[in-house]
Amino acid sequence: MTYPPVGENTLGLLAEVRASRSRVGGSRRLVRQENPHRASLGTAFIGVGTSLICALSAIYGFTWFVSYWTVYPNPILALAAWVLLIVVLVAAFVTASVVGDRLPDWMFALLLALIAVVMALDVVAIWDLHDVGQYATASLTAALALLLVITLRRPSDILISIGAVGIALFAVTIANTRLTADNATVQITSIAFTVLPVVIGVMVVRGFRSMVQIELDRVLVQSTVSAPRFAVGMLASEELARLDLAAEELLDSVATGRIALPLRPKTASVAASLATELRLHLIEGRRETWLYHAITESELLGRSVTLTDKGSLAGLLDANQRDGLLAAVWLLVNDHAKKSAVRTVQVSVGPIVATTPVALTHKLKVPVVITTTGVQRNRVDPSTWDAIRRVGRYSDSSQNASLRVEIECFVDNPADL
Amino acid sequence: MDHILKERDRLLQRTARIHGLSFTGVALLCLLVPGAVAPATYLPLVPLLAVLVFAQYRVGLSRSYLWIFTEVGSALGIVASIAFFNPDGLSPSALSAIGQLTAASLASVAMVLSTDRVRIGVLVALFVVVTVATTTLTADSRRPLETAGLIFLGWSLASIAGLWISAGVPQAARRIGSIGRAHRAERQASEIEAQRRQSARLLHDTVLATLTLLAHSGVGVAPAALQQQSADDAKLLRQLRLGATPTPLSSGGYNLEPVEETVLGTTLESVKQRFGRMGLEVSWHGTGQVLLPSDVLDAFLLALAECLENVRRHSGVREAHVTIVDDATMVRAMITDAGVGFILDDVDSARLGFKESVVARLKEVGGHARLFSEPGSGTTVVLEVPR
Repeated sequence: MTYPPVGENTLGLLAEVRASRSRVGGSRRLVRQENPHRASLGTAFIGVGTSLICALSAIYGFTWFVSYWTVYPNPILALAAWVLLIVVLVAAFVTASVVGDRLPDWMFALLLALIAVVMALDVVAIWDLHDVGQYATASLTAALALLLVITLRRPSDILISIGAVGIALFAVTIANTRLTADNATVQITSIAFTVLPVVIGVMVVRGFRSMVQIELDRVLVQSTVSAPRFAVGMLASEELARLDLAAEELLDSVATGRIALPLRPKTASVAASLATELRLHLIEGRRETWLYHAITESELLGRSVTLTDKGSLAGLLDANQRDGLLAAVWLLVNDHAKKSAVRTVQVSVGPIVATTPVALTHKLKVPVVITTTGVQRNRVDPSTWDAIRRVGRYSDSSQNASLRVEIECFVDNPADL
Repeated sequence: MDHILKERDRLLQRTARIHGLSFTGVALLCLLVPGAVAPATYLPLVPLLAVLVFAQYRVGLSRSYLWIFTEVGSALGIVASIAFFNPDGLSPSALSAIGQLTAASLASVAMVLSTDRVRIGVLVALFVVVTVATTTLTADSRRPLETAGLIFLGWSLASIAGLWISAGVPQAARRIGSIGRAHRAERQASEIEAQRRQSARLLHDTVLATLTLLAHSGVGVAPAALQQQSADDAKLLRQLRLGATPTPLSSGGYNLEPVEETVLGTTLESVKQRFGRMGLEVSWHGTGQVLLPSDVLDAFLLALAECLENVRRHSGVREAHVTIVDDATMVRAMITDAGVGFILDDVDSARLGFKESVVARLKEVGGHARLFSEPGSGTTVVLEVPR
């Protein structure tokens, strides 16, 4: 027998804890998709744009309504539809600009109900004409009210609503209008005019949001460039404070006798894991470089970049080289039109290569190798090469049909400083 | 800024593609209605539509003017061939299809042409060309003003969308930039706070020692002593939390006075007392009075305490010997016990926390540690730090 069976986990847990830490890292990244406040950056402005489009479409629809005035068997109902629609549009616009980031459910439901009423009034008004596509005006414009709140609701809400509107229009058309070769197209175009702008609008808003999200992610990660050689990362001090507090509470409970001695196994294991985590944070916490933090903190990079940097040499890169390396990795991961394609990037830093003569520059040569999967060499954005050039002299090749870049990076020798 | 402008262009391109393709689809539906156009029309129509669709797809990927011009050219070709093959006047379906193509589908190019002055110029020129060509070609079947009005509406809606996104992106980018600056400040502050907490090392050492005792349910230590130590440590942590850097004279076994150089002997004595309380008798041999820089002392004491803790827990004996010797360059501690010992290769040294708390700490101050053991003949650890 050498040691008691290791039920102890004060120190022995290190590896497991580390593994679990890197796992939870994923859910603790700084930017979260579901954070509506951050994602709404600039979408208010986009909202005003969609309102403008909605207004123009409404004027267009209203023009048709005026030109049909004499044709309507019952123009009062159609007029009522338009009056209600204008009230709804104005109210929705005002609400959208004061309500903030999100439209409450009941308001959205009210809006949908009002749209339904407008459509019903308009359809009743033109029922006897038996050509919905031709004579419907307010009902076609009504759905565009969804454009006004497009930035304030989840895309799925808007898509489901506009889908319902489209189906309703289609059903009414089928029920009311006898399709002939002459009037079929106008039915198609009318429904398209109602549905497509909203669908496209949803896509725009979604694209805009993800663009803002990615840019935000990049900007936040960018701040690692100015970090010291070893840094603790954004979450470390928070984490340390949390551990300190937990330890304080536990010790306090022991001191005041709230927890009786000897401890129950459960409490003992809490103490053990606290000690382990504290040790990790105190001893190992400063071993990570800016690049490690950049990758782990970023939603985008964390998914597809792996880093091998045994000697923590990335920390030696100066700000310009760091900026270049980060930009290059970022561009390799993100810069492609097909967002669905999977790209991965492996960055490996070091080990230091002995240079001769050593004394001339007082610089260390650190090789940085970027290997990728799914990145075709001729598809790489030219600005990527500019970024890589800022890190050092490079040579590029293809490996398994994907880009591989070797960079000779010269850094100041920390022993000289 | 460059990044996000590129992203913006991509967003506009994707939007233009979806916009264009969906309305081309609608136009195609219109053309498929029976009797929409004379059958001969389909002959040029099919390849032209294929070109149009391909060009619209490519617009989604590339900023090149080529695909925009191809798109406009093929769409106008479709309009022209419909007009040419149906000289007796266009059916309502054909007119609808032309309207969808020129006013909605083609208008999608406005989105990708709204980003700078040159492109806006091209956009205006294309608009004029499309409007004039379409009104002329369909003049017999529909009033030119009506056609022009429809095209104007479609193109202005798309232009507004494009311009609005173009203008919205720099705004968002500026706000994101300011968030980034705030974040950098936050990162620095966080770094400093973490440093403050990490530099409260002596405090954490005593807290860790106490936690480790608790992890073993406090077995082997007098409850009163453990309670006292817990109370002291909780107080220190509270002080740290409230922003102070606690500098009490001692806690548990540690001398926590912040001094540049500390005499080893007094501190060793307190370590001895602490382990005494926990049931391990430590005997000191050798030099008692060694001056060490405080960071070296910290590391040395921590490593020493970790080793003694290992002896206390694993050796099976209640006595340990510590011999301190020093020369001009080094201070060396030899921790010996006559316990059960172990086979070095059998036990991963990380399990003991040896690597983490002993080797790593000593390395930081330029020292190192060596471990000797044999089953049945005890364990010896040699710690060395520079003076």
